[in-house]
Parts: sequence; structure tokens; C-alpha cells
Amino acid sequence: MDGPDIGWYLIVAALLFGIGALGVMMRRSPLIVLLSTEIMLNAANLTLIAFARQQGDLDGQIFALAVMAVAAAEVAIGLGLIVAMARRRIVLDVDQASALRG
Amino acid sequence: MIAGGWICLLAPLAGALAIVLAGQRISRRTAGWISTLTTFVAFGGALMAFLGLWAADPDDRERVSTAYTWLAAGGFEVGFQILVDPLSSVMMLIVSGVGGLIVWYSMGYMAGDDEERRYFAYMSIFVFSMLMLVEAGNFLLLLVGWGLVGLASYLLIGFWHKRPEAVAAAKKAFVMNAIGDATFALACVLLIWETGTLEFFGVFAEVDSLSTTSVNLIALGLLGGAVAKSAQIPLQTWLPDAMEGPTPVSALIHAATMVTAGVYLLARASPVFEAAPDVQHLAAILGAATLLVAGLIALVQWDIKRVIAYSTMSQIGYMFMAAGIGAYGYAIFHLMTHAFFKALLFMSAGVVIHHLQGEQDIRRMGGLKSVLPKTHIAFLVGTLALVGIPPFAGFWSKDGIITSAFATGGALGWSLYIAGLVGALLTGAYAFRLYYTVFRGEAQSAEAEAVHHEHGEGPRSMLVPVGILTVLSTIGGLVVIPGVWHPFTSWIGETAEPLVEPTVLEDYAMSVLAVALGLIGFYVARRAFHAGRQLVTSPGAWRVLEHKLYFDELYDALFYRPAVAISTALRRNFEEPVIERSLDEIGSGTIRVGDDVARVQSGLLRAYAVAIAAGVCVLVVVFVAVR
Repeated sequence: MDGPDIGWYLIVAALLFGIGALGVMMRRSPLIVLLSTEIMLNAANLTLIAFARQQGDLDGQIFALAVMAVAAAEVAIGLGLIVAMARRRIVLDVDQASALRG
Repeated sequence: MIAGGWICLLAPLAGALAIVLAGQRISRRTAGWISTLTTFVAFGGALMAFLGLWAADPDDRERVSTAYTWLAAGGFEVGFQILVDPLSSVMMLIVSGVGGLIVWYSMGYMAGDDEERRYFAYMSIFVFSMLMLVEAGNFLLLLVGWGLVGLASYLLIGFWHKRPEAVAAAKKAFVMNAIGDATFALACVLLIWETGTLEFFGVFAEVDSLSTTSVNLIALGLLGGAVAKSAQIPLQTWLPDAMEGPTPVSALIHAATMVTAGVYLLARASPVFEAAPDVQHLAAILGAATLLVAGLIALVQWDIKRVIAYSTMSQIGYMFMAAGIGAYGYAIFHLMTHAFFKALLFMSAGVVIHHLQGEQDIRRMGGLKSVLPKTHIAFLVGTLALVGIPPFAGFWSKDGIITSAFATGGALGWSLYIAGLVGALLTGAYAFRLYYTVFRGEAQSAEAEAVHHEHGEGPRSMLVPVGILTVLSTIGGLVVIPGVWHPFTSWIGETAEPLVEPTVLEDYAMSVLAVALGLIGFYVARRAFHAGRQLVTSPGAWRVLEHKLYFDELYDALFYRPAVAISTALRRNFEEPVIERSLDEIGSGTIRVGDDVARVQSGLLRAYAVAIAAGVCVLVVVFVAVR
């Protein structure tokens, strides 16, 4: 099989996932949080495709396509929410949107 | 012929359904007519069945007709079937005939009541239930009729549901009857267990091969049902209270339906009882005890209907006695004559009550002979029949029973015989005490408030049935004249072979004695009345009798109070400290835990993200470790 070993792909994917997770946990802007979740999703996609390639079948790739569709839908809703917050002049800070505190 | 049986059974049901479904679209009077006419249609059906049987070959007088298989479980089957045989055909005639007269009478008595339609629907259901009971071809269907009769009596005794006493009396009747229904049902279960069938002939064929214990238990269960339904000691207390219902209902309960069911059961299940002679004798002893106790209590009652009610208990006691010694023909014969004269007594008492605007206390009555001459004659005929003065109906049947007891002999026969004679004396005394207090002497206070009809003593629909019953009470007993002919008893004997057959000589000798005792009772009552005395002069005895021998108090102390005490104790010591407290604890505990857990919900998105990430890490570690 050509190309790098599967381990490299997994390392890249893990790095991407870690960056995304840290972004979700540390950043306060909802836009960046959304962006970070996209990075995490893409990390997952990368592993799926890597394994698909290693196994030599199409299942992982099909699944990655499905994840992309879900990600697109999620971004549409997430951006819509952020636009709605901005229109209502709500501060774009996830720490201040804490009305659901128990 | 069998069609007659079905017509007889279904006509009253159709009447009840018609009244219920028509609702307010028909007038109250129409409802009364529907009920009356359907009951008379039933009588026509009964007559058809009876005449058909009469014409049939004597060996071929048991006709079973099955509409469909009602229950089937394995090898056990119960059909919706009726049995038309000499016994049930006679019962059908009595129930539908006397019942029809009573329903007809109700049209006058209940006129103007707010809920007449409901009343007539109930009456039709009552007659239907009783017909179901007497026509049933197996024990299960008999039990169905048995239960329906209890329900219908509950509905009718409590008909005036705005009166708390009526509601209480209805409840009491229902509960007392439920005890009997339960023992009856247990007997049925035992029968299925032991014989595998509930059909009469199947059971009777098997009953001799059963063990003594099981046949005794079965007979005891059946007897329990009979005792409750027929208001015999020890389940008798509901009957006097049942006088809270409208007077025609009392007449129906006492004459045509309900209380005679127990006697019918004793005769119908006679092979079972004959296989358990001890239980059969117990029935006779209970009957004798009831006839004495009820006769004594009747001496001190002040309510016109209660006196008659106690006389019913006492007369049913005679019937139990007869059935208990195997004189089934005389038991059913007395059942029939009793139906005539008891319906007559209640209905003429109803005319009196109607005339006096609902007054029932005999201390406020008197001198009604001149005001209500026709009713006076009817009541007098009823009284004479009750006391057993020849040639009135009660004479032929009651003396037959007393003679049968004599002919049975032995310690049992003799004691029953003496009880019967004492009962005859008591009957004479209380019956004529009632007659004198109500109809003779000076007019009392209630007369002032009386209504005076323009036409005679009451509506025609009341007087005509009373007239018919007067005739029946006079001549109804002539179907059995010892030494001349006895078609009635031999007719019943085809179904339930008598165990004892008194000779003609015994019969007439005993009759003289019984009639003499009845006349002594009459004389005592008459003298006491003219002297202004009561029949029971000792105040202690009076008090005991007035409290009905403290049966109610006894049951109160034995069952009601302990039940209340146990319930109260359980509530204080278990319900409140354990159940209620634990529920409270569960509630408040949940709230506390919820408060604590709610703090985790910080509302900070990033905190949630950290928590999820941490959770995933933990899971990864766990999976790796487990592997």
C-alpha cells in the first residue's frame, strides 16, 4: 500500500481532535466553539477514512460522508442561533448564557 | 311447551329493557302498563308450559332446553339452559301470576311518585331474576338468578334513595344475601370439583357416590344460600328492615319472589340434601327456630308492615321445616298459599297505608272497618288464611306440614311438631292483634289526615288485584284435601319424591288440634284487645322481643365492632406511622437529592464540555483496563 503508515493519520487525527476539544473547553466565543466542534468532527472523519483505506473497503468513507452531511446541518443551525443572538443584542459569550443553571 | 318456558323467562326482561330504552318518551303510566302486561305475558308462557306438561306423559315431564353453551372449560360445560318440570312450572306460575298482580297493584300505589319508570323497570327485573332462578337448568344459572334477585331487591328496598334508613336497609339486605351467595358459590365449586358438572340431573346421579364429608359440605353451602335468601336464623335480620321499601315491593319480596327462593332450592336440590340427612335436619331445625322466634317478635311490633314481615319469616320457617323433613309437596304447597295470602295482607295493608297518607304505626290506626269495608274483608280473609282457619288457603298447607312433622316421628319429628303447634298459637295471636288494632275499636289520630277518594277505597288498579287475591286466598288451598284428592302434592312429588306421607286420619286429627290452637291465639288477642292490654305483659320480655332478641346487637358486637376496632388500630399503628410516613419520606428525600444534584447544572457550556471530555477519558481508561 502506498503512502504513510496508518499510525501517522491517527496521530494527525488525535492532534486535530485535541485542538478541537481544547477549543470547545477554553474559548468563550460561540463562533469559535462551533468552529472547534467542526475540527473535532473532521478529526473523526480522518480516522474513518484512514481505517477505510487500510481495510480496503468503502464503509468508512460512506460513514464519513454521512458525518459531513450532519456537520453541515449542525453548522447551519449553530450559525443561525448565533445570528439570532447577535440580532437580539445578546453578548456573544457562552459563559454568560447560563440561564439553565440549576 | 318449552317455548312457554322461554316466553315466561324473557317477557319481563323485554319489559324492563323497553322501559329503560324508552326513557322519558313514554309516560309513567305507560311504563306501568308495559311492566304489568309483560309480567302477565310471562304468566301466559308459564301457563303454556304447565298445561303442556300436564298433557304430557308422566314419565316425560322433565324438559331441558339449551339456548347455547355458555361456558366450556375442558370437559366441563355449562349451557344457558332452562328446565321445565312439575316443580319449576308451579314456581313459574306463582312468580309470574302473583308477581303480575303486585305489579298491577303498584300502578295505583306508586302513582305520582317521581321515579315511577325506574320503579317499574326494577320490578320487571325482579320478576325476571326470580324466573331465571326457578327455571335454571343447572346450578350455575340458578346462582345467576340468585344473585340477580339479591341485586333487584337491593335496588327496590333502597328505591326511596333519599331516605337514609332505606339505603341502610338495602345495604343490609345485600350484605346478608352476599354471605349466602358466597356459600352457595362455594358449594358450586365443590360440585364441579367432585362431580364435574353443575347440571341438576348430572349432579343428582353422582351425589350418592360422593364421600360424606363433601356431600355434607355441599349441602351446607346450599343451605347457607337458602337461609340467607329466605331470612331464616341466623341470617334473618335483613327482612324486617327491608320494609323500608315501597309496600308492593315488600309484597313482591315476601310473596312471589326472593324469600321463597330458599324453599325452592331445598326442594330442587332435594337429592343432595337427602344424601346429607344431617344438613337436611339442620334446615328443619333452623326453620322451626325461626318460626318460633319470628312469631314471638311479631307480638310486640308496632309497624303494620313489620308485623307482616315477621309473619313471613315465621311461615317460611314452616316451609323450611317441611322441606327439612322431606315433605317437599307441602313445602311448595305452603309456598303457594302463602304467596296468595301474604301478597293479600301486604296489599291490603298498602291500601290502609295509602289511605292514611303513609302512616304505618298501628297505634295511630283503628276503627278502619267502617271506612275501608272492602279492604277490611280482604285483610280478614288474609288473616284467616294466615292463621289457618278452614276453609281458607293456609289451613290446608300448614296443617299438612304439621302433620308431616308428626308422621316423621322420633325426637326430631316430635320437637318440630311441637314447634309447629306453638307457632300456630303464636300466629293466631299476632295476626289477630294486628287485625283488631287496625280495623276495630275507635278511630285514632291518623284518620284525621286520611285522604278520601271519591271512588271507593283507592284506585281501581289497587282494588282489583286485592280482590283476585282474596278469592285465591279463600279457595287456593282446595287443591289438596286429605282423603279426597291431592293433585298438587303428587304433582310436586314427581320432581321431589316426599320422604314422609301422613295418613288421612293423622291429617284430620292434627288439623283439629292446630285449628284449636289458632283459635286460642285469636281468643287471647281478642280479649287482650278489648281489655286494652298488650299480649306480652312482662316488661322484661317485651324489651327482649322489641330488640328482636338482640340479634342486631349481637352481630354488631361480634362482627361490626371488631372490624371497626381492627381497622382503627391498623390505621393508628400501621397506616399512619408506616405507610403515610414512608410516603412523606420518599417525597421529601427526593426533593433533597434533587436540590443537591441540581448544583451540578452550572449552566456553563464549557463546564459541560469538560465534564463530557473527562467522562470519555474515564471510559477509555476503564475499557483499556478491562481488556
